[in-house]
Amino acid sequence: MSSALKDKYAIVGVGYTPQGRVPGRTSLSFHLEASAKAIKDAGLSRNDVDGFIAYRHFPAASDENDLPADVIAQHLGLSPTYIYQDAN
Amino acid sequence: MSSDSMMQMLSELSGNDAVFGHFGALGGYALAARRAMHELGTGPETWKKIAVGQRKWANLNPQAMMHDKPLTETDYDQAKWVVEPFRLFDNCLITDGGRAVIVTSLERARDLKQQPAVIMGLGQHHPSTAIAQSDWMAGPTGARQAGKTAFAMAGITPDDVDACQIYDCFTYTVEITLQDYGFFQPGEGRDWLEGGTIEPGGRMPVNTSGGQLSEAYCMGLTPIAEGAMQIMDRCGERQLGPATGTKPPEIILCSDNGGILQSHSSVLLRRM
Repeated sequence: MSSALKDKYAIVGVGYTPQGRVPGRTSLSFHLEASAKAIKDAGLSRNDVDGFIAYRHFPAASDENDLPADVIAQHLGLSPTYIYQDAN
Repeated sequence: MSSDSMMQMLSELSGNDAVFGHFGALGGYALAARRAMHELGTGPETWKKIAVGQRKWANLNPQAMMHDKPLTETDYDQAKWVVEPFRLFDNCLITDGGRAVIVTSLERARDLKQQPAVIMGLGQHHPSTAIAQSDWMAGPTGARQAGKTAFAMAGITPDDVDACQIYDCFTYTVEITLQDYGFFQPGEGRDWLEGGTIEPGGRMPVNTSGGQLSEAYCMGLTPIAEGAMQIMDRCGERQLGPATGTKPPEIILCSDNGGILQSHSSVLLRRM
């Protein structure tokens, strides 16, 4: 069991956004830009994506709506087979 | 993520102990670090080597928030306390930004554009107890068991690792994580860090983007993105190997850590 996942999967793309003090942007816009750039970096299209995992469910900015994984996936135009998000 | 939500996390009142001044992520980690000072003899003399060493990597990374800002040990010593025993440069940055990675099967990865960063080992362990009630305040943290699991899956030991990308919400987090992974014995971090161990040119580079302390706080995506980028040979001036006088990165250990040292994940990446 301890080796069931060994050498089966790989990271094949990374997406960055401007980072630091970046005024005038929503939290959602960072999710979308990072995801879209990662997909492109891997040489894939959004139709290739069959799973969406959102990192911890931290609060969005205080003047924004909550951002659960399904909302981000929806805005990316994904219809994944599974969606997952850490509680914290 | 937004800097606004970060501030909420850092300052939220967690329980009745808030009336005694213990609240937020900073207070919790400071409590753990203070206990480690008592039990292991660690402290700012150890942590400044982490802050200064990581900054040298950030100075090679044009994307790093601290790219243009060198940091000396004197700068560290003269910085204000935030929550004792942490001075300003023991704390990670607060960042607006986002980051994502794509994971796929090894079969599929072979045909794609980038050199794959193969996942050779994974481990998690979650002590879960709130730090103030824990019986492991100075460690071992979840890194001990998570690391063992990841190394067992990969069939390697810490000696096989070429570089580490460690979740570094605070300098102390880097020390306790590396210690629990077995890179040095409890309390020997200061000696291990001596002589530029984790810096460009060092024998065990750590947080080669600058990390959360000096590149950007993108939570667990800061270490794992940098681990993948180094394996892919896409790091420019800070690329591990001959360019920085370090070992070529065949195997990189990345960590993530949540709560006040209450949850921990480890991943070992390797070149195909």
